[in-house]
Amino acid sequence: MGRIQLKAVQKKFGDVEVIPPLDLTIEDGEFAVFVGPSGCGKSTLLRMIAGLEELTSGQVEIDGKDMTLAPPSTRGLAMVFQSYALYPHMTVRKNIAFPLRMEKMDPAEIEKRVAVAAKSLNLTDYLDRKPGQLSGGQRQRVAIGRAIVREPSAFLFDEPLSNLDAALRVGMRLEISELHKRLENTMIYVTHDQVEAMTMADKIVVLQAGVIEQVGSPLELYNAPRNKFVGGFIGSPKMNQLEGEAAKKRGCTTIGMRPEHISVSPDSGEFKGTVGVAEQLGSDTFFHVHVEGHEETVTVRQSGQVNYGYGDTIYFTPEEDRVHKFGPDGLRVE
Amino acid sequence: MAIVATQSKLGKIVWPVLAWTVALLFFFPIFWMILTSFKTDADAVKPEFLFRFTPTLENYTNMTDNYDYWRFATNSIITSVSATLFTLFVAVPCAYAMAFNPSRGTKDILMWMLSTKMLPAAAVLYPMIFLTKSLGIYDTKFLIVMVLSLINLPIAIWMLFTYFKDIPKDIIEAGQMDGLTTWGEVKEILVPLAWGGIASTALLIFIFCWNEAYWTVRLTTTEAATLSKLIEGNRAPEGLFFGRLSAVSTAAVGPIIVLGWFSQKQLVQGLTFGAVK
Amino acid sequence: MANRTIPRLLQTPAVVLLLFWMLIPLGMTLFFSFIRYVLNNLRNPHWTSPSIENWRGFGNYQFVWGQDSFWLAMKNSLVIVTSILFLTVILGVLIAVLINRSFKGRGIVRVLLISPFFVMPAVNGVLWINMILDPVLGLQGIAVGAINDLQNAPLVGWFFSLWPTLEPISFRATQTSSIAVIMMVVWQWTPFAILIFMTSLQSEDQQQKEAAVLDGASTWSQFRFLTLPHLGRPIAIVVMIQAIFHLSLYAEIEIVSRGNGNKNLPYYIGELVNNNIGAASAAGIFAVILANIVAIFLLRMVGKTLME
Repeated sequence: MGRIQLKAVQKKFGDVEVIPPLDLTIEDGEFAVFVGPSGCGKSTLLRMIAGLEELTSGQVEIDGKDMTLAPPSTRGLAMVFQSYALYPHMTVRKNIAFPLRMEKMDPAEIEKRVAVAAKSLNLTDYLDRKPGQLSGGQRQRVAIGRAIVREPSAFLFDEPLSNLDAALRVGMRLEISELHKRLENTMIYVTHDQVEAMTMADKIVVLQAGVIEQVGSPLELYNAPRNKFVGGFIGSPKMNQLEGEAAKKRGCTTIGMRPEHISVSPDSGEFKGTVGVAEQLGSDTFFHVHVEGHEETVTVRQSGQVNYGYGDTIYFTPEEDRVHKFGPDGLRVE
Repeated sequence: MAIVATQSKLGKIVWPVLAWTVALLFFFPIFWMILTSFKTDADAVKPEFLFRFTPTLENYTNMTDNYDYWRFATNSIITSVSATLFTLFVAVPCAYAMAFNPSRGTKDILMWMLSTKMLPAAAVLYPMIFLTKSLGIYDTKFLIVMVLSLINLPIAIWMLFTYFKDIPKDIIEAGQMDGLTTWGEVKEILVPLAWGGIASTALLIFIFCWNEAYWTVRLTTTEAATLSKLIEGNRAPEGLFFGRLSAVSTAAVGPIIVLGWFSQKQLVQGLTFGAVK
Repeated sequence: MANRTIPRLLQTPAVVLLLFWMLIPLGMTLFFSFIRYVLNNLRNPHWTSPSIENWRGFGNYQFVWGQDSFWLAMKNSLVIVTSILFLTVILGVLIAVLINRSFKGRGIVRVLLISPFFVMPAVNGVLWINMILDPVLGLQGIAVGAINDLQNAPLVGWFFSLWPTLEPISFRATQTSSIAVIMMVVWQWTPFAILIFMTSLQSEDQQQKEAAVLDGASTWSQFRFLTLPHLGRPIAIVVMIQAIFHLSLYAEIEIVSRGNGNKNLPYYIGELVNNNIGAASAAGIFAVILANIVAIFLLRMVGKTLME
């Protein structure tokens, strides 16, 4: 069980309101991702759920019980920190066993649980090492192991992959996703990386300046971003947002076109532009096109290898049914 | 590479020689004191025995008869050790709270604590004599322990605060998630992780207590008199007792110098409050 | 959450102890400074115990203010402290730069250099004023005697006869005792400065230096424009910490001069305490004011960098 409900949760640091009152429900077994640019309050929100940060006002309920004032350890949650926060003076075994020891569990049972966790995380050979002797990925797994053994009602992850290099990050991402499938536990995962959000989440919560911009499944957010911010934040490369003539023609202030929803032609199309940088990835090609009257380049994605070079003039047209329209207030209009 | 290349051949000889010369000059007074301690009082003042003399241990073996050395040394040990322990006992929780649960006033409190170190001792000398005499604790070890603790408390808190601040807050929070109590945090995480810092703080505070010479001289007569008082009381032997005075001085500072060698590195970090590492 | 009260509770003992330590004696000093309070006075026996009835207003302050010895002590305090600060910083920087390179026995050099810092002040005073500086029996006396003896040496004696005979200096005298004090404290505290500057030099950005070499900077320019600015903060810290310790310098002065020589403020107060408590307290308050001026100045300068 692990249904987490935030009711009018608010946080102020001094006079600065970092999180205006917000409501949010995370269902049991859900993989929820808080995503947003740094400083948007996502970590603060997570820490308030964990009990590491006091609420200025509002309530945190876990499985229907008011936990607003409960100390962190009694909430039945486990947390994986960005810095892993392993105890450097303890071996891996002791690190993983630590929360159980705190619960005064029977040593034999502890031993058993540690062994199971270590096996599932491929840590069995490292149990007697200290964290300092492990690689980043291994440390990450120890931190997860320490969370798993408690059999918590929910896992909290605070940017757990941001200290890993790119290759490891992909691997760990899969491991965590698989862990979720296997344990079927509630997980709340904080990241600034929208790729992690898209690939892992059942439910994404996009935050900006402490305000929830949109809540929904990855594809809902991708297909129907509620506003310009979400449109720009979700999806890679970024959605192109243009104002002016093209927007007016479609009856809105701003149009959003994803790079992958644009077709290119050498001789005719809605927009005319000059190719700036062309990034050849083999599987895809990205063109950064200068369009007259627009300061920012428009990114266009073409499948496969397409040969336009620097300075070439091209024409491009968005797929009309996939154009996103935003009103003067930045909100989506249909 | 580039730096090394600019160093001339001459520099390779001149600089080390200069460095050694300076170092030996600085150490010379201590060396001289140790050397003199092995001379008889009569030999110690004769130019012809500057370096060539018959070494004797009599100054050390007679230390008890000459100066009642061990009584003072015992007082020094008891008061310094007790004061160090008491200081840590008060300072560790305080620094812990400041480092991991800072409030808006924490910085001001720290600065205020440091400023108490700047209060000239002389300004409160008479009230201290007056108070302690009326309380009947003048010239007691208890008083000296308290005073030594109080004058070193700000430094201890600052040093520990600096060391504790280096412990990632995440680890303490992980401990909270794992169900640690406040006492558990101190015992299971803080002390094991900051052990080096706590030990070097203790060492430095001990050295300061041992060397303290204002209050220990002014607030004691016989009962609680420390080595500082002993040396200060024999400050003017007019050349009659250079040998035995050197011996008792060597005995008083020798162990501390050796302790000091071990704490060099921590000393820098501690005394500069972590600003220089 | 109970989170807030526990930290406060943990800080309380330290704060309360220091508060008592500061307020009670200081409050008494303040009170005594406004009353007539003299320990030995046969004509006015009621002055021998502290009482509000002996109120003297600013009388003690005026008395102290009007005394030449107070101003001399004030002057000596400042001269001694500033000289020590000046000398230790200069010597410290020079020696730190000198040994901040690799050579044989660098570890031993460090150990030798730092040792004086751990010598107890009482021993420092006794050692210097007797064994080293004594004009007759100390090394100074012996060295001066040996140099003068050269005049009688065969072959080269005529050369040394051209020079005047040296007179050993008595450092217990009024004019010279401050010099002796400065000498011994500089000896004790330069190691501290060296240690801190050396540690700081080791964290100097080597790539920056290499870039400077490529840019054609001379050794002097590197020192002047890179090393010295890098040492700014440690220098400020060394100055602050030493000021804290040296404003209350006492043992060395007591040992050097036995009161005959140059007194500093603590020593002056120490003498008054033997009889005229009112005046001693007023002088004490002046010392507190002086310390506060220095403290405000220093904390402004250094405090902020410490809090980062």
